[in-house]
Amino acid sequence: MTAPQPPPPLPAQPSSLSPTSVPTLEIRGAHFAYGRRTVLDDLDLTVHRGTVVGLLGPNGSGKSTLIRGICRIHRPKAGTFMLGDVDLHRLPPRELARTAAYVPQGSPGPFSLTVTEAVMLGRTPHVRLRPSREDERHVREAMELLDLAALADWYVDELSGGQAQRVVIARALAQQPQVLLLDEPTSALDLRHQVETLHLVHTLAVERDLYVLMAIHDLNLAARFCHQVALLHDGRIVTAGAPAGVYRADLLEQVYGLPVEIDIRAGVPEVRPCLPARRVAPS
Amino acid sequence: MTSSGTTHDGAVDAGAAESSGTAESYGEAGRGDPFRLAGRRNRPKIAILAAAALLLAATSVTAVAVGASGISLRDVGWALWTRALGITISTDELATQTVVWELRLPRVGLAVAAGAGLAVAGVVLQGLLRNPMVSPFTLGISSAAAFGASLTILFGDSSGRGSVGMVASALGMALLCAGLLLGLSWLRQASPVTLILVGTALTYLFQALTSTMQYIASENQLSEIVRWSFGSVNAATWAQVAAVGIPVLVATALLIGQAGNLNAIAFAGDDAARSLGVHVPRTRLICSLLAVMLAAVIVSFTGVIGFVGLVAPHIARLLIGADHRFLLPFAAVAGAVLVLAADTAGRTLFSPAVIPVGIVVAFLGAPLFINLILTRRRQFL
Repeated sequence: MTAPQPPPPLPAQPSSLSPTSVPTLEIRGAHFAYGRRTVLDDLDLTVHRGTVVGLLGPNGSGKSTLIRGICRIHRPKAGTFMLGDVDLHRLPPRELARTAAYVPQGSPGPFSLTVTEAVMLGRTPHVRLRPSREDERHVREAMELLDLAALADWYVDELSGGQAQRVVIARALAQQPQVLLLDEPTSALDLRHQVETLHLVHTLAVERDLYVLMAIHDLNLAARFCHQVALLHDGRIVTAGAPAGVYRADLLEQVYGLPVEIDIRAGVPEVRPCLPARRVAPS
Repeated sequence: MTSSGTTHDGAVDAGAAESSGTAESYGEAGRGDPFRLAGRRNRPKIAILAAAALLLAATSVTAVAVGASGISLRDVGWALWTRALGITISTDELATQTVVWELRLPRVGLAVAAGAGLAVAGVVLQGLLRNPMVSPFTLGISSAAAFGASLTILFGDSSGRGSVGMVASALGMALLCAGLLLGLSWLRQASPVTLILVGTALTYLFQALTSTMQYIASENQLSEIVRWSFGSVNAATWAQVAAVGIPVLVATALLIGQAGNLNAIAFAGDDAARSLGVHVPRTRLICSLLAVMLAAVIVSFTGVIGFVGLVAPHIARLLIGADHRFLLPFAAVAGAVLVLAADTAGRTLFSPAVIPVGIVVAFLGAPLFINLILTRRRQFL
């Protein structure tokens, strides 16, 4: 993470070749409902270690629910969430928090912590009464990894959107998780910070052998930074796999209700909505 | 990525780094920026806490020594020494001992306990509701207690502030109000904003009830109701110090034990706190119950000391930061110093007239608070 930013390298090709001995994150038959309204219906998904899986789909398709459901912010009505042979939802809350970390869309609250204190929140499932040397070491490591060391004593509300997003990701890493769950990490960022954040998430997944599941709106960025994507529509997965295979004009049109064109550049699909406005361009 | 140089308010931005476009200088520029209260965030927090405790000790000693009776520090020491060892003393010395032991010390004790407890309750409620304008009083608790007290004055045996009947009535009403709020948050899973609005509505409701009491009260009763509502630690007794002090100590200790969970809820939000392994509903219930009970107990003994629960948390946050591990004990000390100083000023400045601490605390606290808010270097609200 040094400036000037080099253009992010293309992600490794989807790791359908991951050896069978490596445990996977297996979601089987996940069913979520708010009251009577079913949000996710009998959903299956596999995340391989060291890869980023992007959850795509329009608003209300159930992306956030799945992300939040895995770390039990929402309780599923049915389904199993296995990491290898560990049933995540049978773990006690603190244990689950040491296994799966969640990066929410925004952090609320009028009061502000310093960057160090905010990253220390990630040690909550580890700390007993007060932070130990080891807790402080993990906080320092997470801050260095996300290039936050120079900002250690800044208050979070003094930071730019991209920096603040990095603080939350550092907080998640300080949990020492195996699974990283991100809910639209780029939604509040400008283009540059979107690219930087996603590049970072991709690098973390590969270098730290994390299982990363990320809800994301931008199809083109997802195609570049996710090893695999799953397209959700009305609580079901329409299709999943490598972006090049998932991005089909007819499927996207059906899911988003908008005609699109797809170009493949250097093996990466690019989606362009077909805008009716073109026809009424000024002469 | 280090070069992303914009802050939200821009007031303390390291603008030079941004305009020069050198990415790596950003963090350094921020730390060297003379307009930034850089030291404030790096001060060793334990040292700040120790300094505050010393200040409280000094204020307490001063408060015991100053007053109408012309007692010196040495007299105070002698009185306590002879009392502790049971040494026989002259009548003059006995009079001094009575003033120190029966009047001044309980008064100091009650002021310290009330200030500490109200500040702790304020910190916890502001954190849980994630709102800087909350205090035990904006949630209707003090108006409820005032109504309870006025009920006793009108219809019960009113032997004055601190009498068993009045405390019981005030406490009952305060707990009723607290119960309504907590029940609502528990049953309906109400959002913080809903709770604040309901608390505000309850404040008006209990104020209207008290006004009704005042409307039908006799002259004497009316003046007694009004006097109750000026919070005061006049006529404090050791029994009252124990009745307020022990709950304050216990609740503060328990709440400091919850500081890590409180941090997660206040700064990460309920959902993220859950993902950090915090049992959010249980933590919320325990902490709000403790805070609200604390405020209810204090107010029923002292009457309305309104400003401390709002201001002491902010003063503490500005000085030591928002981490509840340090904020809670520091706010307790800050609240204690504030109330004790206000009470001491109230009974000495216009001696022999004694101004109730509830009034003085606002005179002392408001300018201090406004000054802190306006001179702070960053937008923290």
